[in-house]
Amino acid sequence: MSEREIIETDVLVIGGGPGGLATAIHLADLIQDHNEGVEKGTISEKPLPLNVLLIDKGASFGSHSISGAVINPIAFKELLPDTPIHDIPFESEVKQDELRFLVPGFAFKAPFHPPYMSNQGNYVASLGKVVRWLANIAEQKGVQIFSGFAATELLYNHQGVLGACTGETGLDKHFNRMANYQAGNDIHAKITVLAEGSRGHLTKGLIHKFDLAKDRNPQVYSIGVKEVWEVPEGTFEKGRVTHTMGYPLALDQFGGGFIYGMADNQVAVGLVIGLDYRDPTFDPHHAFQVYKQHPFVKKILQKGKLLRYGAKTIPEGGLFSLPQLYHHGVMIVGDSAGFLSMPSLKGIHPAIQSGILAAKTAFEALKNADYSEKQLALYEELFKQSTLYEDLYPVRNFRQGFHQNLMIGSIHFGAQLVTGGYGLSLNGKLSIEEDAKCLQPLALYKNHGFMTKFKNKLTFDKQLTFDKVTDVFYSGTQHDEEQPCHCTIPDPSLCADVCFEKFGAPCQYFCPAEVYELVSDTKTGKKEIRIHPANCVHCKTCDIKDPLRNLVWTPPYGGDGPEYESM
Amino acid sequence: MGLKIICLMKQVPVPSQMRMGSDGLMDRTKAKSIINVDCTFGLEQGLQIKNRVKDAELFVVSMGPTSFEQSLKKALAMGYDRAILLSDRRLGGSDTYATGLSLGTLLKKLGFSKDAKDPFIIFSGRQTSDGDTAHVPSQVAETLGIPQATFIEKVDYQDNHLVVRRIIEGGYQVLKVPVPCLVSITPTSIPARRPSLKGAIKAKKAKIEIWNLDQIEVNTGVVGINGSPTIVARVVDIERNRPPVKIMEGHTAQELAGRLVATIEQSAESQIPIANEIAHKKADLFKKEAAPAIPAETKPASTGSEFPRVDFRQGARGILTWVELHGKTPARSSLEILNPARQLADQLGTKVTSVLIGDNISSVAQEIIALGADEIIAINDPRLKEYSILPVTSIFAQIIERQRPEIALFGATTSGRELAPRIASRVHAGVTADCTSLKVGEFVHKIRKSVMYPCLESIRPTYGESKLATIVGFCCPQMATARPGTFQTLKPDPARTGTVTEFKPQLKDSDFVVEIMETLREEGGAQNLFAADIIVSGGRCCGELDDFKLVKELTKALQDKGINADWGASRQAVDHGYAPYGRQVGQTGKTVRPKIYVAVAISGAIQHIAGIKDAGKIIAINQDSQANIYRHCDYGIVRDYLDVLPELIQKVRNGFTFGVTPSPAK
Repeated sequence: MSEREIIETDVLVIGGGPGGLATAIHLADLIQDHNEGVEKGTISEKPLPLNVLLIDKGASFGSHSISGAVINPIAFKELLPDTPIHDIPFESEVKQDELRFLVPGFAFKAPFHPPYMSNQGNYVASLGKVVRWLANIAEQKGVQIFSGFAATELLYNHQGVLGACTGETGLDKHFNRMANYQAGNDIHAKITVLAEGSRGHLTKGLIHKFDLAKDRNPQVYSIGVKEVWEVPEGTFEKGRVTHTMGYPLALDQFGGGFIYGMADNQVAVGLVIGLDYRDPTFDPHHAFQVYKQHPFVKKILQKGKLLRYGAKTIPEGGLFSLPQLYHHGVMIVGDSAGFLSMPSLKGIHPAIQSGILAAKTAFEALKNADYSEKQLALYEELFKQSTLYEDLYPVRNFRQGFHQNLMIGSIHFGAQLVTGGYGLSLNGKLSIEEDAKCLQPLALYKNHGFMTKFKNKLTFDKQLTFDKVTDVFYSGTQHDEEQPCHCTIPDPSLCADVCFEKFGAPCQYFCPAEVYELVSDTKTGKKEIRIHPANCVHCKTCDIKDPLRNLVWTPPYGGDGPEYESM
Repeated sequence: MGLKIICLMKQVPVPSQMRMGSDGLMDRTKAKSIINVDCTFGLEQGLQIKNRVKDAELFVVSMGPTSFEQSLKKALAMGYDRAILLSDRRLGGSDTYATGLSLGTLLKKLGFSKDAKDPFIIFSGRQTSDGDTAHVPSQVAETLGIPQATFIEKVDYQDNHLVVRRIIEGGYQVLKVPVPCLVSITPTSIPARRPSLKGAIKAKKAKIEIWNLDQIEVNTGVVGINGSPTIVARVVDIERNRPPVKIMEGHTAQELAGRLVATIEQSAESQIPIANEIAHKKADLFKKEAAPAIPAETKPASTGSEFPRVDFRQGARGILTWVELHGKTPARSSLEILNPARQLADQLGTKVTSVLIGDNISSVAQEIIALGADEIIAINDPRLKEYSILPVTSIFAQIIERQRPEIALFGATTSGRELAPRIASRVHAGVTADCTSLKVGEFVHKIRKSVMYPCLESIRPTYGESKLATIVGFCCPQMATARPGTFQTLKPDPARTGTVTEFKPQLKDSDFVVEIMETLREEGGAQNLFAADIIVSGGRCCGELDDFKLVKELTKALQDKGINADWGASRQAVDHGYAPYGRQVGQTGKTVRPKIYVAVAISGAIQHIAGIKDAGKIIAINQDSQANIYRHCDYGIVRDYLDVLPELIQKVRNGFTFGVTPSPAK
């Protein structure tokens, strides 16, 4: 059974998050309505078969889903108009919404909410639960959904995308076939929808191959590090939403903290940090541990218990960082494309909305039996007429403004607010640098970098604060030990020749799961990076932030990775 | 030629997610379900044979509620052709005997009987994580009347027979087993493949064939709770709170090592080996917890049950034990069970009869008598030089028929754990696996409206060592296997006398169809980690600084003193290539429970702690006083291991063995 068998489908959706599931659900609805119309005679066309296949690399649906999350329910009304909001497994309606500025030792309440950041009418949610619920709906509507399968590569034909393949399993660390070898499958699809989430590795390859990001801003990201805690009754009410700015982030860092009250006395707490930071010793996981030691946060957690840990990158470049969303036989939705509503930092409803648009496009393409780039350009047309576009357009320059520092960012944002987003740009478009280019040499941070500044706060007591490996345990992540390493260093010599000297091996800091470790041989003193791929939580920070672009993330065996449950 | 391969499979809750409900029963509803890990290895063996025999048809067979479908579908996705589920409410409460009988009957109904036309092989996992008994494979094989090989880690299919490698204590055995047969697979075999997407799509569409009791034409009186010779009397939680670490004080490594020796010797002052201390601790806890946890129907009669007292033994008397022999040397566990056997016999006012099977082994009799037996039944036969399950089962069935013992005890070795359930199935008795405590008690039987006495209370840890279950049964003999190392061997009394009877059993050629090709008992490599009394584990530093030399040297020194010791490594050390994966201790590697665990330069990541938390005593040697290991150990030496270990090795060479007694089997 070593031959690759072929699976045929009309539409292949890669990724079972909100974007992918929305695509599948809406397409199934459109096809069903169409077929009902044909049957009743109100539509004089041929019926369409429902051949939609959706795969996800998580062990189950929702296992790799992680978000804050405060969800704007608007997209659910569009996707499932007949479903009352209270049927959606949200934790709570937002009941209290506040912003605090943290300085060492104190927290000041902001007297007003910055524009776009109000959460009135929104819901605190665990994305994992919502995704599981959506997956159920998709299945009921006749979509073929399978978790535990990673698409490892896109398949191309002379026109464009032909489908994707699932990876082979049962290989040892050196790619040799073992006794339990299992060949992968080629999936041939008329349309492939990429809904891989942030920094999808297939999307990355597709954009590169067809130069889909030409003349656009590069995508930029933040990393969010999050824990879910159980706290004593009455500590932090469900539906309470607190955002913080300031401590422990430096003024030139974009980001902030969040604390959300969930059901069952659980609290989601996290820190989101722009990956355009400059200090090579900055450690997002450690910064989050420092954050929890601030009296304002500590008070909430100190009698509680850690339940889950996770980390994920967030694409925040906005409208100008979106690539061309389609090519022959393929469309990109959700975080993979970079649909994220700034500055409220919401990606879930844009993901669903983009999924709906991609479904409409796929439906038309199926009816016309035309999967060409020209036909699928409808997706971008629909987007430009959509409310999603209306949301993204005024804040198209938001993130770029904050690239320098918070003060300049605020001035930019102020100017954008009064000019309809045009702001202080010369041509209506502020440019931005890729995150990988932002790190500065270690020498500049030798004595005032993150590690020096907070050195007294980096001993973890395992009550309130945790080292990375312990937190990794709480992510539930698991990987088959016998498989080729999925976090790769294409050119290890670059590490020793350039990186250690110039940047001090920042991968050991920016990875929130201790996948990369700098070790030195006790005898020879020779340094090298040791990779622990089994710790990986699939956040993709390494793929984004490495200054030499010498870390490449590929998917491990399907079903491996974190088990986020209620994240 | 139409080879059929059947794999028995069970779905279990994820062990770490199991919680006990307020009623004292396991609440499985909240835990996610998976295919029992051992069963996945069985499934893979079936697929391995299919690789060679392309036209083989693969069946996956299970018994349980319809929620098992998800796991059966996974087996189909892996490549199985048909999935069959025996599902019937009347099967609720089945013990292993009734399960073996039900599954065996189903298999016969499906055409897999011993005289079936087409050859077939049944695979299964070694044991389940929620039952931990390893009984069902033996009992299915007995129900079908086919040969078996259990605890198998390697299978080679050759036309009409299999050559398999069976794990035994401290080594392995190579067996040639004819087809049809049943083979249970250990998790040291080939890990299960991942299903392909194509397979998953096929499986989603496939139908599970569901059978009920009426369809397999089985009398409902012999299966389910009615047909089960054992019942769970109660389950209590085992609390395991390790007291705070004692850090050794001293200025030099020599002083520190000396202090450790003194402290351990002090704690072992009463001469009770540490293993027994644990057993007692567990038993005490049990006593303490038992009172509130006893459901109404199990209240001792003395507290005022109105029901009449019923002696259910119907004349059965005496305690039978099996003396497992390796050549002429009795296995240590067989000597250990003479202790509880003696105590039970004294309480019941009856005799201990021990069975010796081998070639020219009558000379061992006096040793067994000195350790507590009253009577020896010796079977001498050159064909029985090495243990083999089929003839030994026949012999026991004949002895049980003749003697009618009320209790039969076996050491829970790999042989004892396959033998006892097969005998139980043949003589229609109940058996409890891997007991850590055996007592005489009574049971208020609400359904039968009587107080059953005197029953054997077989107490065993279960659910991943988190609970203690008490099992009783009212069919004689009441059988149990006892966990090696739990009971202390009695002090030999050379003055004790007893009778020795030669017995000539009737054995058929069919009892000798399994051929033992090779038996090797010695240092068992990584497999030995499960059974070792002392494990010395090293962290990454041990690899970097001396390539595990000192860790191995300490292990060797202990082995030289006759201690069943072995070495392991932390995940970090294995990741860095200093030790093979098979020696990795911790959640993703092995979960071990030695009497003594010596953690050398191990920081104590939570994953590692999860793998050692059931160890008797944990000794940590780590320079870093803040290391997490110090929150989870009993004794600590805060000093560079390069200084401490040479001192400890010297102490061991001078006779210090951490309070562990040497193993006589070695």
